[in-house]
Amino acid sequence: MEVSEPVLLILLSLAEQPRHGYAILQDTERISGGRVRLSTGTLYGALGRLLEDNWIERCQEQDRSRGRQAYRLTTEGRRNLQREVSRLKRLARLGTLRVARKET
Amino acid sequence: MLALYRAILSLYPAAYRGEYGDEMLEVLSEVQAETSNKGALARGGCAVREASGLLCGALAQHLRRFASRYDRFWSICSRGRFAMRSEFRFPKATVGLMLVILAAVTFTIEKAKAISASIPHANPPVGHIHPSQFEILPTLLLAMLSAVGAGVVGWAILFALRRSGIQQLSEMNPSVGQRSRK
Repeated sequence: MEVSEPVLLILLSLAEQPRHGYAILQDTERISGGRVRLSTGTLYGALGRLLEDNWIERCQEQDRSRGRQAYRLTTEGRRNLQREVSRLKRLARLGTLRVARKET
Repeated sequence: MLALYRAILSLYPAAYRGEYGDEMLEVLSEVQAETSNKGALARGGCAVREASGLLCGALAQHLRRFASRYDRFWSICSRGRFAMRSEFRFPKATVGLMLVILAAVTFTIEKAKAISASIPHANPPVGHIHPSQFEILPTLLLAMLSAVGAGVVGWAILFALRRSGIQQLSEMNPSVGQRSRK
Protein backbone atom coordinates (compact mmCIF):
# COMPACT_ATOMS: atom_id res chain seq x y z
CA MET A 1 0.00 0.00 0.00
CA GLU A 2 1.04 3.59 -0.58
CA VAL A 3 2.64 5.14 2.52
CA SER A 4 1.54 8.76 2.54
CA GLU A 5 2.76 11.15 5.23
CA PRO A 6 -0.28 10.67 7.51
CA VAL A 7 0.06 6.88 7.22
CA LEU A 8 3.79 7.09 7.96
CA LEU A 9 3.12 9.22 11.04
CA ILE A 10 0.46 6.77 12.28
CA LEU A 11 2.85 3.84 11.79
CA LEU A 12 5.67 5.68 13.59
CA SER A 13 3.30 6.46 16.43
CA LEU A 14 2.34 2.79 16.77
CA ALA A 15 5.97 1.66 16.38
CA GLU A 16 6.70 3.06 19.84
CA GLN A 17 3.78 1.44 21.66
CA PRO A 18 0.15 0.39 21.13
CA ARG A 19 -2.16 3.41 21.13
CA HIS A 20 -5.88 4.16 20.85
CA GLY A 21 -7.38 6.60 18.33
CA TYR A 22 -7.14 9.83 20.29
CA ALA A 23 -3.58 9.04 21.52
CA ILE A 24 -2.53 8.47 17.88
CA LEU A 25 -3.94 11.91 16.93
CA GLN A 26 -1.98 13.57 19.73
CA ASP A 27 1.24 11.69 19.01
CA THR A 28 1.19 12.32 15.25
CA GLU A 29 0.82 16.04 15.96
CA ARG A 30 3.72 15.90 18.40
CA ILE A 31 6.14 13.96 16.17
CA SER A 32 5.37 16.18 13.18
CA GLY A 33 6.24 19.23 15.28
CA GLY A 34 2.63 20.45 15.26
CA ARG A 35 2.61 20.57 11.46
CA VAL A 36 0.18 17.70 10.89
CA ARG A 37 -3.10 17.45 12.76
CA LEU A 38 -5.10 14.53 11.44
CA SER A 39 -8.88 14.60 11.48
CA THR A 40 -10.75 11.64 12.96
CA GLY A 41 -12.12 10.75 9.50
CA THR A 42 -8.63 10.63 7.99
CA LEU A 43 -7.27 8.64 10.94
CA TYR A 44 -9.94 5.94 10.77
CA GLY A 45 -9.74 5.75 6.97
CA ALA A 46 -6.02 4.99 7.29
CA LEU A 47 -6.50 2.61 10.25
CA GLY A 48 -9.11 0.67 8.26
CA ARG A 49 -6.75 0.20 5.31
CA LEU A 50 -3.83 -0.74 7.57
CA LEU A 51 -6.02 -3.33 9.34
CA GLU A 52 -7.17 -4.75 6.00
CA ASP A 53 -3.58 -5.08 4.77
CA ASN A 54 -2.50 -6.62 8.10
CA TRP A 55 0.01 -3.88 8.93
CA ILE A 56 -1.66 -3.27 12.29
CA GLU A 57 -3.97 -5.22 14.59
CA ARG A 58 -6.42 -4.47 17.37
CA CYS A 59 -5.56 -5.00 21.01
CA GLN A 60 -6.94 -3.91 24.34
CA GLU A 61 -5.59 -0.75 25.91
CA GLN A 62 -3.19 -1.36 28.79
CA ASP A 63 -5.36 0.76 31.09
CA ARG A 64 -8.32 -1.62 31.12
CA SER A 65 -10.54 0.71 33.15
CA ARG A 66 -11.22 2.78 30.01
CA GLY A 67 -11.78 -0.33 27.87
CA ARG A 68 -10.83 1.53 24.71
CA GLN A 69 -9.74 -0.14 21.52
CA ALA A 70 -6.01 0.18 20.90
CA TYR A 71 -3.92 -0.63 17.84
CA ARG A 72 -0.41 -2.04 17.46
CA LEU A 73 1.94 -2.90 14.61
CA THR A 74 2.02 -6.48 13.35
CA THR A 75 5.35 -8.15 12.50
CA GLU A 76 4.59 -7.55 8.83
CA GLY A 77 3.74 -3.90 9.52
CA ARG A 78 7.00 -3.35 11.40
CA ARG A 79 8.96 -4.94 8.55
CA ASN A 80 7.20 -2.73 5.98
CA LEU A 81 7.81 0.34 8.13
CA GLN A 82 11.52 -0.51 8.38
CA ARG A 83 11.65 -0.78 4.59
CA GLU A 84 9.93 2.59 4.24
CA VAL A 85 12.29 4.24 6.74
CA SER A 86 15.32 2.82 4.86
CA ARG A 87 13.90 4.23 1.62
CA LEU A 88 13.47 7.66 3.23
CA LYS A 89 17.02 7.49 4.63
CA ARG A 90 18.44 6.83 1.15
CA LEU A 91 16.34 9.69 -0.23
CA ALA A 92 17.48 12.04 2.54
CA ARG A 93 21.14 11.10 1.93
CA LEU A 94 20.76 11.74 -1.78
CA GLY A 95 18.94 14.99 -1.09
CA THR A 96 21.68 16.18 1.26
CA LEU A 97 24.36 15.41 -1.36
CA ARG A 98 22.55 17.14 -4.19
CA VAL A 99 21.65 20.24 -2.17
CA ALA A 100 25.27 20.51 -0.94
CA ARG A 101 26.61 20.21 -4.50
CA LYS A 102 24.34 23.04 -5.68
CA GLU A 103 25.47 25.35 -2.91
CA THR A 104 29.22 24.94 -3.58
CA MET B 1 -21.19 19.90 17.42
CA LEU B 2 -21.30 16.20 18.24
CA ALA B 3 -24.79 16.08 16.70
CA LEU B 4 -23.31 17.37 13.44
CA TYR B 5 -20.52 14.78 13.56
CA ARG B 6 -23.09 12.08 14.27
CA ALA B 7 -25.16 13.25 11.29
CA ILE B 8 -22.11 13.10 8.99
CA LEU B 9 -21.19 9.67 10.40
CA SER B 10 -24.61 8.43 9.30
CA LEU B 11 -23.44 9.03 5.71
CA TYR B 12 -20.82 6.28 6.06
CA PRO B 13 -21.67 2.76 4.81
CA ALA B 14 -23.58 0.86 7.51
CA ALA B 15 -20.94 -1.88 7.84
CA TYR B 16 -18.16 0.67 8.37
CA ARG B 17 -20.28 2.61 10.86
CA GLY B 18 -20.96 -0.58 12.79
CA GLU B 19 -17.25 -1.33 13.01
CA TYR B 20 -15.79 2.11 13.75
CA GLY B 21 -18.74 4.44 14.48
CA ASP B 22 -18.71 4.31 18.29
CA GLU B 23 -14.94 4.53 18.45
CA MET B 24 -14.90 7.53 16.11
CA LEU B 25 -17.56 9.30 18.18
CA GLU B 26 -15.51 8.70 21.30
CA VAL B 27 -12.41 10.22 19.65
CA LEU B 28 -14.48 13.15 18.33
CA SER B 29 -15.81 13.88 21.82
CA GLU B 30 -12.24 13.79 23.19
CA VAL B 31 -11.08 16.18 20.47
CA GLN B 32 -13.99 18.48 21.29
CA ALA B 33 -13.20 18.39 25.01
CA GLU B 34 -9.58 19.29 24.20
CA THR B 35 -10.59 22.38 22.19
CA SER B 36 -13.42 23.47 24.50
CA ASN B 37 -11.12 25.72 26.57
CA LYS B 38 -9.51 27.30 23.49
CA GLY B 39 -10.59 30.38 21.55
CA ALA B 40 -13.48 30.55 19.12
CA LEU B 41 -11.11 30.55 16.14
CA ALA B 42 -9.40 27.34 17.26
CA ARG B 43 -12.77 25.71 17.95
CA GLY B 44 -14.08 26.74 14.54
CA GLY B 45 -10.93 25.50 12.79
CA CYS B 46 -11.18 22.18 14.58
CA ALA B 47 -14.88 21.79 13.69
CA VAL B 48 -14.21 22.52 10.00
CA ARG B 49 -11.27 20.09 9.93
CA GLU B 50 -13.23 17.30 11.61
CA ALA B 51 -16.40 17.83 9.54
CA SER B 52 -14.52 17.94 6.23
CA GLY B 53 -12.43 14.93 7.27
CA LEU B 54 -15.58 12.97 8.03
CA LEU B 55 -17.23 14.00 4.75
CA CYS B 56 -14.16 13.01 2.71
CA GLY B 57 -13.93 9.76 4.70
CA ALA B 58 -17.58 8.92 3.98
CA LEU B 59 -17.07 9.54 0.27
CA ALA B 60 -13.85 7.50 0.23
CA GLN B 61 -15.52 4.57 2.00
CA HIS B 62 -18.42 4.54 -0.47
CA LEU B 63 -15.97 4.62 -3.38
CA ARG B 64 -13.93 1.80 -1.85
CA ARG B 65 -17.06 -0.25 -1.32
CA PHE B 66 -18.17 0.37 -4.89
CA ALA B 67 -14.71 -0.47 -6.20
CA SER B 68 -14.38 -3.70 -4.24
CA ARG B 69 -17.82 -4.83 -5.39
CA TYR B 70 -17.01 -4.24 -9.02
CA ASP B 71 -13.53 -5.67 -9.20
CA ARG B 72 -13.26 -5.01 -12.92
CA PHE B 73 -13.85 -1.32 -12.29
CA TRP B 74 -11.26 -1.46 -9.51
CA SER B 75 -8.67 -3.07 -11.78
CA ILE B 76 -9.16 -0.27 -14.32
CA CYS B 77 -8.74 2.38 -11.59
CA SER B 78 -5.77 0.81 -9.83
CA ARG B 79 -3.74 -0.34 -12.82
CA GLY B 80 -4.97 2.18 -15.36
CA ARG B 81 -5.64 -0.40 -18.07
CA PHE B 82 -8.30 -2.84 -19.11
CA ALA B 83 -7.78 -6.22 -17.50
CA MET B 84 -9.62 -9.35 -18.57
CA ARG B 85 -10.85 -11.66 -15.86
CA SER B 86 -8.35 -14.47 -15.42
CA GLU B 87 -11.05 -17.15 -15.66
CA PHE B 88 -12.19 -15.90 -19.10
CA ARG B 89 -10.82 -17.88 -22.06
CA PHE B 90 -11.60 -16.91 -25.63
CA PRO B 91 -12.91 -20.15 -27.25
CA LYS B 92 -10.85 -21.17 -30.27
CA ALA B 93 -13.93 -22.62 -31.99
CA THR B 94 -15.36 -19.08 -32.19
CA VAL B 95 -12.52 -18.01 -34.50
CA GLY B 96 -13.31 -20.86 -36.91
CA LEU B 97 -17.03 -20.08 -36.82
CA MET B 98 -16.39 -16.38 -37.49
CA LEU B 99 -14.18 -17.28 -40.49
CA VAL B 100 -16.91 -19.54 -41.91
CA ILE B 101 -19.50 -16.73 -41.51
CA LEU B 102 -17.13 -14.21 -43.18
CA ALA B 103 -16.55 -16.59 -46.13
CA ALA B 104 -20.32 -17.17 -46.48
CA VAL B 105 -21.09 -13.43 -46.46
CA THR B 106 -18.34 -12.66 -49.01
CA PHE B 107 -19.55 -15.51 -51.25
CA THR B 108 -23.19 -14.26 -51.05
CA ILE B 109 -22.18 -10.69 -52.00
CA GLU B 110 -20.15 -11.92 -54.99
CA LYS B 111 -23.02 -14.18 -56.09
CA ALA B 112 -25.52 -11.28 -55.81
CA LYS B 113 -23.21 -9.06 -57.89
CA ALA B 114 -22.99 -11.76 -60.59
CA ILE B 115 -26.81 -12.16 -60.72
CA SER B 116 -27.29 -8.38 -60.84
CA ALA B 117 -24.83 -8.07 -63.76
CA SER B 118 -26.48 -10.91 -65.70
CA ILE B 119 -29.97 -9.23 -65.66
CA PRO B 120 -29.38 -5.45 -66.02
CA HIS B 121 -33.09 -4.42 -66.26
CA ALA B 122 -34.29 -6.33 -63.20
CA ASN B 123 -33.13 -3.53 -60.81
CA PRO B 124 -34.35 -0.13 -62.08
CA PRO B 125 -32.37 2.86 -60.77
CA VAL B 126 -33.62 4.26 -57.48
CA GLY B 127 -35.11 7.77 -57.71
CA HIS B 128 -34.55 10.68 -55.33
CA ILE B 129 -35.15 9.89 -51.69
CA HIS B 130 -37.99 12.07 -50.40
CA PRO B 131 -37.44 13.73 -46.97
CA SER B 132 -40.63 12.10 -45.65
CA GLN B 133 -38.83 8.75 -45.83
CA PHE B 134 -36.60 9.89 -42.96
CA GLU B 135 -39.52 9.94 -40.51
CA ILE B 136 -38.45 6.54 -39.34
CA LEU B 137 -35.30 8.00 -37.71
CA PRO B 138 -37.01 9.70 -34.70
CA THR B 139 -39.04 6.55 -34.13
CA LEU B 140 -35.87 4.45 -34.12
CA LEU B 141 -34.20 6.90 -31.74
CA LEU B 142 -37.21 6.80 -29.42
CA ALA B 143 -37.21 3.00 -29.45
CA MET B 144 -33.52 2.94 -28.66
CA LEU B 145 -33.92 5.39 -25.76
CA SER B 146 -36.85 3.36 -24.38
CA ALA B 147 -34.72 0.21 -24.52
CA VAL B 148 -31.89 1.96 -22.66
CA GLY B 149 -34.39 3.30 -20.08
CA ALA B 150 -35.87 -0.16 -19.54
CA GLY B 151 -32.36 -1.57 -19.15
CA VAL B 152 -31.42 1.03 -16.53
CA VAL B 153 -34.65 0.41 -14.55
CA GLY B 154 -34.06 -3.35 -14.67
CA TRP B 155 -30.47 -2.93 -13.52
CA ALA B 156 -31.58 -0.64 -10.68
CA ILE B 157 -34.14 -3.22 -9.49
CA LEU B 158 -31.53 -6.01 -9.58
CA PHE B 159 -28.99 -3.79 -7.80
CA ALA B 160 -31.50 -2.91 -5.04
CA LEU B 161 -32.50 -6.57 -4.60
CA ARG B 162 -28.88 -7.70 -4.43
CA ARG B 163 -27.99 -4.97 -1.95
CA SER B 164 -30.90 -5.71 0.38
CA GLY B 165 -30.08 -9.43 0.14
CA ILE B 166 -26.46 -8.86 1.15
CA GLN B 167 -27.55 -6.61 4.01
CA GLN B 168 -30.01 -9.22 5.28
CA LEU B 169 -27.32 -11.90 5.12
CA SER B 170 -24.87 -9.77 7.10
CA GLU B 171 -27.55 -9.11 9.72
CA MET B 172 -28.30 -12.84 9.96
CA ASN B 173 -24.63 -13.72 10.49
CA PRO B 174 -23.19 -11.57 13.30
CA SER B 175 -19.88 -13.50 13.28
CA VAL B 176 -18.90 -11.66 10.08
CA GLY B 177 -18.50 -8.43 12.01
CA GLN B 178 -16.80 -10.06 14.97
CA ARG B 179 -14.25 -11.95 12.93
CA SER B 180 -12.49 -8.78 11.86
CA ARG B 181 -12.24 -7.60 15.45
CA LYS B 182 -10.03 -10.54 16.42
